[in-house]
Amino acid sequence: MFPTTRLPLALFALASASVAQEIPPPASVAPKRTAPPKTVTVSMRDGLRFEPARLTANPGDEIIVNLENADSTHQTHNFVLLKPGKLKETVALAMELGEKGAAQGFIPTTSDVLAHSGLIDPDKQEVLKFKLPAEPGVYPYVCTFPGHGLVMYGALYSGVKPPPIAKDANIPPTAVQSMIAGNGRRPFVQRLFMPDAGPAAIAVALSGTQNFCWDSDQCRMRYAWKGVFIDASGYWKGNGNELASLSSVPWWSAPADTFPIRFESGDAPPPQVRFIGYRIEAGIPEFYYRAGNAEIFEKITAQENEEGLALHYRILKNDAPVIYKATEPERVRWSSSKGQFGNGTLTLTSAEAADFTLTLTSLNQDVQ
Amino acid sequence: MKTFFLTIAALSLRMLAADPYETQLGVHYKVTKIPTPPGVDPQVGAVAVLADGRIATAFHHGEIGIFNPRDQSWKIFAEGLHEPLGLLEEKDGSLLVMQRPELTRLRDTDGDGVADQFDSLWAGFGMTGNYHEFAFGPARGPTGKLYVSLNLASSGASIRPEIRGDWNPAGLPRAEFYNDWKTAGPKAGRMYSRVPWRGWVMEIDPQSGLATPFASGFRSPDGIGFDAAGNLLVSDNQGDWRGTSELHVVRRDGFYGHPASLVWRKDWDGSDPLQTASQRLDSLRTPAAVWFPHNIYANSPTQPVIIPKSAAWGPYGGQTLIGEMSSPRLLRLLMEEIDGVWQGACINLAEIKTLKGGMHRLAFSGDTLWIGRTHLSWAGGEGLATFEPQGKTPFEPLDIHVTPRGFRIEFTEPLAAGASDPASWAIEHYTYAYHVTYGSPQMGKAVDVPTRVTLSKDGKSAEIELAALHPDFIYDIRMEKVVSLTGAAPLNPHLAYTVRRVPK
Repeated sequence: MFPTTRLPLALFALASASVAQEIPPPASVAPKRTAPPKTVTVSMRDGLRFEPARLTANPGDEIIVNLENADSTHQTHNFVLLKPGKLKETVALAMELGEKGAAQGFIPTTSDVLAHSGLIDPDKQEVLKFKLPAEPGVYPYVCTFPGHGLVMYGALYSGVKPPPIAKDANIPPTAVQSMIAGNGRRPFVQRLFMPDAGPAAIAVALSGTQNFCWDSDQCRMRYAWKGVFIDASGYWKGNGNELASLSSVPWWSAPADTFPIRFESGDAPPPQVRFIGYRIEAGIPEFYYRAGNAEIFEKITAQENEEGLALHYRILKNDAPVIYKATEPERVRWSSSKGQFGNGTLTLTSAEAADFTLTLTSLNQDVQ
Repeated sequence: MKTFFLTIAALSLRMLAADPYETQLGVHYKVTKIPTPPGVDPQVGAVAVLADGRIATAFHHGEIGIFNPRDQSWKIFAEGLHEPLGLLEEKDGSLLVMQRPELTRLRDTDGDGVADQFDSLWAGFGMTGNYHEFAFGPARGPTGKLYVSLNLASSGASIRPEIRGDWNPAGLPRAEFYNDWKTAGPKAGRMYSRVPWRGWVMEIDPQSGLATPFASGFRSPDGIGFDAAGNLLVSDNQGDWRGTSELHVVRRDGFYGHPASLVWRKDWDGSDPLQTASQRLDSLRTPAAVWFPHNIYANSPTQPVIIPKSAAWGPYGGQTLIGEMSSPRLLRLLMEEIDGVWQGACINLAEIKTLKGGMHRLAFSGDTLWIGRTHLSWAGGEGLATFEPQGKTPFEPLDIHVTPRGFRIEFTEPLAAGASDPASWAIEHYTYAYHVTYGSPQMGKAVDVPTRVTLSKDGKSAEIELAALHPDFIYDIRMEKVVSLTGAAPLNPHLAYTVRRVPK
């Protein structure tokens, strides 16, 4: 499946013209036009929502919206584009239409409506074309079918940069949730392409407000952040060409170099690691991997006061002293239930290493 | 408002004019859409029938739901997986899942119906973070070994700063991958394999997780499975080095045409395979057993599965069925081995317009075919559906065999005498180029008028003789004018046979 382009026909035609000629990627073969129309797909989904709930464009753009009603609960919907700031008024006007509304597809008679579709039944499609006004702004789109407009709306950002998902007041809370991995449930584990990590990353939302990214190839935590979990909508809307995004800057990031654990001495080379898997208990994963000959269990939980994380380690099948490189960048403090700290390293006997807890505390609680 | 009423009028007209094909299809098969779990994105990456009859379904956002057909209930077994595109149950009830970065074994150790143990069975393949590096399978072979197929990366995007696996130096230097992609991208190769086993089928031991490279030369091998005789089948998508979409019968150490993966072959000389002369590549490769003519039969073939041998499936039992992404088609594969070379035909089993497309994953539970659909922003559909034969085999071609002078086509019912008239058969042949260009036009196209058509004594097969038969050409055979003894027209009246060898 999965051809690399949505333009196979265009390429096919070109291929016919010259069999021997190598075809460069589609971007450069597309015929040059001034400002081609921007085509987007908007689906009407179960739970009275548009997907996506946010669109971006530039003032004056010609837009082609492929509307599809994919609502499996058999609801009829429409798509109505409004002037900025006119969402509530228009929804109220649509409600006032009452019984006579059906005859006009529940489109209220007002100049605030810039463009609209007809009523679209389940499993049906409609193509809507319009030109955006020259004024930049946040243009709401809404379903004015009775009772839908209060929750079923979205925002077209025209020449305006959208805020982070979690802080976007122009889209309904349900839409925000659907873009966040786990729909806002915590704790939650999501494997996805993550920023500033290897391609086999595991994102974890803990019960309260803490989140972290664990790299299953490097067998170590890469960073931790507080607040909303990952916005996965960029990846999910397509084929995975986008990374998940974080709502805030990590309050801790691992040093770029290597695995934090050494055996025998701090000068020893880092052991080879191999990820074996994880076990989920009460929603929280305990990672399990090999480092050299040792077997390591690592479970990361939130500190009770939400000021940081607790890393519970069990380093087994190991007779050597364990050195943990707990380097202290600014703004965090390390401490340990066992062993000796000195020069940014924690030294444990093999017996101590069999069960200890490191705590990582953020010293700057304002950073979010 | 005017457009609104026009739309309604158009819709009504469409509903009134019942499609005769759809009406006829409804006589033979029943299609039922199955509601997916609420709040779950309904794009299906994988479907597996469990030993207890429940249906495990993997969704785009990483959920695995288990549907119980008895009470129509869903239970979420796992969540948060990374683009699961394959599912396989093991004897002990654990579930193998092919995620983008890992083949994972999921187990429910406390018996609450939810997975709690996620073991990494195999992650020994490279990833650049490129979106096109999908991972498919596993399929279980006759010996119990597992087989997975790994996509190439696409020049539609570059690589990520952090990658997994050894970087192969043949080709565009890695540093250039981080330059402006509009300029650098075209130099990377349309599809590239710069980390291990991209474009390969791998064989994995289910106990140890040890993997062995099995075969190379793939581009986007979404469909991997075995036929009834235990042959490994892999489908691949039209693109560069793929004049049209293909079905391969895959053997150990074989090379199946897309050169990017050759860099990982032990005997490769270290040069950039994308700069290798196509004549040399042509001499190394095993061509496809079946071509799917583009825009006619399939544009993106998917998973092959075996049709059960049962009363309901009648004479189709044991044949291979395959799905298609761009149109809502299921196709049968009619294959044979001639002088050690696999070849054969594809023919529609059903085109189910209500399902729109994206017929991505197929699994049989008894006679019922479960269809999971997806699109991932390409052409396709979404959701889960069942497809059930109604115990009445349609009149249409059942099988086809190449003969020294043409073809013998077997039908599900005896033919009327008019079928012996060569004018009842519309045949043309054409071929596709093997080249770096995306796709290929139909080349060397010409019409074949049968020199003679002879019906068998029972009237159920037709021996078609042609003036000549050309290896490496498709014979696209249309049978709209062929009718059965009872006057029925074929439900699916055309097939495309890829000739590789002409028997003596």
